[in-house]
Amino acid sequence: MTTLPTSTSGSLWRQRRGLILAYLLVAPPLLLMVLLIFVPAIQSIARTLTTDTTGEAGLSFSRYIAFFQDPISVSNLVFTFQVVFVTLLVIFIVCFPLAIYLRFAQGRIAGAVQILVLFPLFVPGIILCYALIRFLGTRGTLETVLSIFGFMDYSTPYLKPSAIIIGLVWESIPFTVLVLTAGLRQISDSLIESARDVGANDLTIFRRIILPLITRPVLIAFSLNFLGIFGAYTVPYLLGPAAPQMMGVFMQQTFGQYRRPDEAETQAVITFLICSVVGLLYVRTVASQRIQQEDAE
Amino acid sequence: MAKLDIVQLTKRFGSVTAVSEASFTVQDSEFMCILGPSGCGKSTLLRMIAGFESATGGDMQIDGESITELPANKRPTAMVFQKYTLWPHMTVYDNIAFGLGLRHLPRATIEKKVHDSLDLVSLSGYEKRFPAQLSGGQQQRVALARAIVLEPKILLLDEPFSSLDAILRVRLREELKRIQRRLKITAIFVTHDQEEALSLADRIAVMNSGRIEQLDHPSTIYANPETLFVADFIGAMNLLKANAQGSSLRVGSKTLPLPDGSIVNGETTIALRPEDLVLVSDTYTGAGEIWKANVDQIMDLGHYRKVLVDVPDVGELKIFIAKSAHINEGDTISLVPARYLVYGQHGSPIEVNRLARPDSQAVQ
Repeated sequence: MTTLPTSTSGSLWRQRRGLILAYLLVAPPLLLMVLLIFVPAIQSIARTLTTDTTGEAGLSFSRYIAFFQDPISVSNLVFTFQVVFVTLLVIFIVCFPLAIYLRFAQGRIAGAVQILVLFPLFVPGIILCYALIRFLGTRGTLETVLSIFGFMDYSTPYLKPSAIIIGLVWESIPFTVLVLTAGLRQISDSLIESARDVGANDLTIFRRIILPLITRPVLIAFSLNFLGIFGAYTVPYLLGPAAPQMMGVFMQQTFGQYRRPDEAETQAVITFLICSVVGLLYVRTVASQRIQQEDAE
Repeated sequence: MAKLDIVQLTKRFGSVTAVSEASFTVQDSEFMCILGPSGCGKSTLLRMIAGFESATGGDMQIDGESITELPANKRPTAMVFQKYTLWPHMTVYDNIAFGLGLRHLPRATIEKKVHDSLDLVSLSGYEKRFPAQLSGGQQQRVALARAIVLEPKILLLDEPFSSLDAILRVRLREELKRIQRRLKITAIFVTHDQEEALSLADRIAVMNSGRIEQLDHPSTIYANPETLFVADFIGAMNLLKANAQGSSLRVGSKTLPLPDGSIVNGETTIALRPEDLVLVSDTYTGAGEIWKANVDQIMDLGHYRKVLVDVPDVGELKIFIAKSAHINEGDTISLVPARYLVYGQHGSPIEVNRLARPDSQAVQ
């Protein structure tokens, strides 16, 4: 075979043309990501490793050692983890019943609950924070109402960690319920009915049928909420205590108020690395879902 | 091994009555089919027996004990659903063992039961597969095994084969019947496919708009449909508008006799099975009325032929004839309406037999 038949070379050309078009379509967002995210990120990481705390050049971990030796930095990092952990816990405790209700209930009340659940989506974070201050703060709505009923020992969560958690939970409810409800809707009624048919009660159905079938939506909600909460700024800044601080507030303060860009950069890299581990979990979850869908097709 | 009594069972959704005062008994080890068009209430009826829908009124009893107030998970029934029936995250083994595990049976017992049930549906060796690795037919067989393994008093099947292709459907149907006979299990099978019902059932309940129109043996339902709906729904049928006067029926310009003492008068409908329109030779002089017909279309259906003919003044009719009969499209042939049913405005239909059928010419 010395010459290819013309039809084959024609289809080869068509294939190649399709490929070029695909690359052209992907190029702009890819370029933007490389130029605006990857390059600065790698530069930052490189800088934190190639200059030490005194500004001298040379490979050195001294900036990271300084971070982990500084009690305030460490306590802020630990505090961030604690807030993330408790907030995620509360989010799932609140959102699971809501999602299950919305999946199985019918009628007007379910429709109203659906709208209420989505409502926080339409409220900007800063407005939410001031609303919460008015509601939860000293001499706020809640304290006034409680005092009417004779409850006088109200202690406001405002400027305490619990206020951050309340704010972040409120912000995360719509997204989490949406993801969980979408996952639950993938489970057909007959799967649940056949479990009930062979003798399973509600709790068994939830544990043995529903939970295993929505691990993927749960992982997606977990990872995306984790990323959002770990880097949160507005809510912890306006509602939280002055110390300890969450990483978002801490970075901003180090950079803007204390004017220590090098330290802020180190804090940013640490935050970035922690978040990228969770980001990887998210990417793997979504990828495995796509592979399974393609298998099913 | 159980008897099921349904007493005046009713289901209303708001102002819509899905099932209206259904009453019947399914005998021990009987195979009953509930047959009807979509939306007739047959699935709702089955789901009430399974406990997935609450009854608006009436009662259900298994061996004399009411199950009406029991939740689905406490009822001695097991159901095979139409599709998406297996839990996708569990293996075939776990799917079947799930219900047994809930009953806290010893492991060895569970293992034996699962293997026996898989053996019953000819799927031994598939224990470790996941549902996605099975074909649609295999999935429904596992679903059947999962229901049977619990030794339910009543086995409920909600169109379990309707999402499968025709050949597989027939094969699984035969397999189901064999299993039901072997285990002597009481079963209720819901379907919209009359062929499925006729071939499976000991008795068929034909449902229409929430009511059971007729409940009888398949051959009785086929030969003597109680209502016009049943006549039209079961099997192929020619329905002709006619006018009854005294002892004769007028169909277009033709006349057919009515038995003496018939009480129908005025508007009636004649129901004629295609195989009851008998092809006779042009020189035939025997009993019955001879209708001349023009052959419009011949469809070869394997061992017999379905023929569309036009009888002037009566209309288009379908008939079944043997392959050996020599007719072509465009021919004029002679037909004798051998047996027909006459439906008046009220009451049971009147059966008319004009001749002992010359079997050599009629093919069923």
